[in-house]
Order: sequence, then C-alpha cells, then structure tokens
Amino acid sequence: MIVAERKSIPDLVEILQDHKKILVLGCGTCVTVCLAGGEREVSIISSALRIASNIHGLDFEIEELTIERQCDNVFIEEATDAINRNDAVLSLGCGAGVQALAERYAKKPIYAGLDTAFIGILEDRGIWAEKCAACGACVLHQYGGICPITRCAKQMLNGPCGGSREDRCEVRPDRPCAWQLIYHRLKGIGQLERLTEIAPPKNWEPGHGGGCRVIVREDHRI
Amino acid sequence: MPQISKLETMITAGNFIITAEFLPLPGADSKAAETASGFLKDRPAAVNVADNPHGPILSSLAGSVILEKSGIEPVYQIVTRDRNRIALQSDLLGAAALGIKNVLCLSGHHQTLTGSRQSASVYDIDSIQLLAAVKQMNDDGVLLDGTKIAGDFKVLAGAVATPDMKPLELNMIRLTKKVAAGARFIQTQAVFDLDAFAGWIKKANQLGITSKTAILAGVMPLESAAEAESLREKYTDLVIPDSVIDRLKAAGDAAAQAKEGMAICIETIKKIQSLDGVRGIHILSGGKEHRVPEIVKAAGL
Repeated sequence: MIVAERKSIPDLVEILQDHKKILVLGCGTCVTVCLAGGEREVSIISSALRIASNIHGLDFEIEELTIERQCDNVFIEEATDAINRNDAVLSLGCGAGVQALAERYAKKPIYAGLDTAFIGILEDRGIWAEKCAACGACVLHQYGGICPITRCAKQMLNGPCGGSREDRCEVRPDRPCAWQLIYHRLKGIGQLERLTEIAPPKNWEPGHGGGCRVIVREDHRI
Repeated sequence: MPQISKLETMITAGNFIITAEFLPLPGADSKAAETASGFLKDRPAAVNVADNPHGPILSSLAGSVILEKSGIEPVYQIVTRDRNRIALQSDLLGAAALGIKNVLCLSGHHQTLTGSRQSASVYDIDSIQLLAAVKQMNDDGVLLDGTKIAGDFKVLAGAVATPDMKPLELNMIRLTKKVAAGARFIQTQAVFDLDAFAGWIKKANQLGITSKTAILAGVMPLESAAEAESLREKYTDLVIPDSVIDRLKAAGDAAAQAKEGMAICIETIKKIQSLDGVRGIHILSGGKEHRVPEIVKAAGL
C-alpha cells in the first residue's frame, strides 16, 4: 500500500489560513489502512483545525467527508457537491489523490494534508516500512524476493557496502542491512550462486529516470 | 601510449607497497595539498586523494592533479554516491587526460553520514559496476553506452575491502567480485582487530584472491579514546575493539593517549607485515598527513 503521514497542525493552519469554508476530505483506501487519512483521521484533524481556528481567530468552517478512493474519478464524483460548497479542500489522500482532485476541479484550491512517503507494508504494530521503489523493472527474482534498490540505502546491486553489519545498516541503526537479509534468504533457498555473478548497471529509464511515467494499454483503449 | 603507474610497477614487481591518504580541505586553493605533499613525498609509492568523505571539499580530481604536480603519484578516489554514470565516465576520461594513472572505485559514505545530509541520493551504479566500467574502458576502449574512446585510456583500478564485514562468506563473495571486475589492488579499511584480519586474509589466500590482486592493509593512528569511540559510533565500517579503547584510556592524558595511539598503529603494522597474502600497508591518516612520516619511520617501513 501507499504509506503516508499527516502534516503537523501548525503546517496545515499555515496552508489553510486564507480560507474560511474548508472540506477535509479523507480517502478510504491505502491511507485509511496506514492510519493517516481515513474517516477517523478526518475527524481528528478537523477537530484540531477547529481548535486552532479558535485560538488564532481564523473563523474556519470545517466540513468532513471520506470517499472510497480519491485517485479514481468514479469515487471523486461522490464529493462534487461538498467540494463545490467549500472554498478549499484539504485532501487526506496520497499525492495521487490530491492531484486527481486538482485535475478535476480546475477552480478549487486543493491542498495536501499528508506527506506521502512510500510503498510499504505494516511490519509490526505501529511500524510501516518501505518495500518497493516502483523502479518499473522488477529485480526481485534475482535477490530472493528482497529488494536491494528499495531496502539498501545505496541501492547496491552486487553485494553490501563496507558499512554493512549483521544486525544493522550503516545508515540506520534501527534497520537491518538489506544485503544481510538477501544473503541469508538466497542461502536458505539454495540460490546463493546468484550473488556471484556481476549485476550490470541498472536501466533506470523505466523508473523515474525516464521522466513521469504513463502506462498505455491499447487493449483497454477501445 | 600512457605511462604505467609507479604503483602498478611495484605490484607487478612484488615489492612491499606503502600508500597513504590525503584528505583535502573545503578550500579553493592548492595550499593544503602542497603542505600535505611535504609530508607524503618521501616514502609512499602513491597517495590516495579522498572524494568528499564528510561533505564537500576540494575535488579529488583537482587534489590528485596538484599532488601529481608536487611529484607525488596520486590514487584518484571516485565514489558512486554523487555522480551518475555519465559524470563518472566523464571524470575518468578527464583524469586520464590530466595524467592520473591510478583510480580507487568505491561507493562512499552515504550522504546522510556527511555534513550534507539533505543531498539527493545518486547511486546510479555501485562500486563493482564502476570497476567493471573502468575495465571496459581499459580493455575495450569503449564507454558503457558503446561509444569509442578517442585516444588511449589506461588506468590502474583498485577497490576497498572491509575485513571486519561479516559473515566471511558474504565478505568473500564481494571481494571476489571486485577482483573479477578489475580491482588490481585492494586497500582495506583500518585494521584494529588483528585476529579478525588474520582470519580474513587467510580465507582470501585459500580462495586464491591474494594471488590475483595486491592487498594493502589499512592502518589508522588513533588520537584518543574519545576519537575512537566517536569514529566507531558513526562509521560501522570502522570496527575498533573495546580492548583498543581501554588501552587508550589507560594511557592517561591527551598527549599520552596520542602516543599510545601511535604505538598501537606501529604494533598493528608489524603484526600485519608477518601475515601471508599482505602486499603492503595503506596509512589512513584522516587528514593528519603530518603523522605519516613518523609512522613510516617508527614501523621501519
């Protein structure tokens, strides 16, 4: 899923201070699961904004709504009336949701209430971790299902850097070295020989290196 | 035809090799390099020029050229952290045109461990891919995209190894790949745990790695117990055992600790010299180039 974190209330107040009628719009998909922008967070952030409005004399009028998916026009439609009757929208969707709204409502200010962080999973209670960099040319089959591009801070493809430790990454003491995980995983599944071959430089063009990406499926264009 | 470097000649001849390190300053003139060259010109066969290990300083290519002009053969260090394959190959061509004959290929300390932690991450290629690119440029005269190089490109490529990196099997996979990718010499991170180093070099001997590349063991004179603790805390590639830190602490005041640090360094060199498979010593002075002549003299190098 896409994992995001809420911006701070002071930051949101600064972003919204020139508006009066504000729709706080949640999203029922990824950001609900990662506890950043679902119905519950819409309620919490709206309450915090009302308190901040009283303290700073900003006169906010906050409306709350959560739709199933902000990145999908079919669901965005459900929010049209609420968007039209407010001066601005604080989207608690991911960056894709915010932009889908902005593209559809040309004259309405749409603001991001979250910092979209990564594609990841819930690793443990309250801990989300990045697992995929969306590089556009998956290499997981070569590395035992552990992504060195995402999980090695230096995205090394031929083994660990000298800073690798059995219990930690050089860059983050609280995280394992991806290469230690890859080594043990490949050894465990009898594929350690995969590490002995030199992996050539990666083609980054299918990733963001090739510019903003679009997938066109002709079979779905009819 | 480009000349063969002094370092390469010594590797081929089987001489015991001493290399040292020059850490440029964040300066816009050649004074620091010239001052350092005064300490480094006598004994080391070649001197590495660090590539922005802690944040921006005078470029390693410029530093290498200044050393060359001062009569010192440089080892131009080039990290993959800051430059993509376009810039790396361009700099390599430029270095060759300026007379640089030795290149050390490494990934470099991650940017978040430098003073410029907000920098974008590059890491387009890794250190092994950079070595392979240099090998292709040397052997085939072509760049990664197949473009033919005009003129002769010939540099001696080296790499870094971290003997303390475990498990040993993974360490050796990485070392073997570096040698296969063209590393003619290997400079190790500073050795403080002699037992671990002895085990590492023994394994490299068993695998035949030491007959294919020249391994130069890194040594570093520690200034104080506080410096040692700070270094090992920040850089996981520096493993400094508690016994070394205890010894520094027991030495007493700052001057006594610095003296003890030097004594530990000299002892380390002497023990390393007795090990099969070691072809030389790389003195990592960490910006304290003035200590190099003292180390060379005291260790009888």
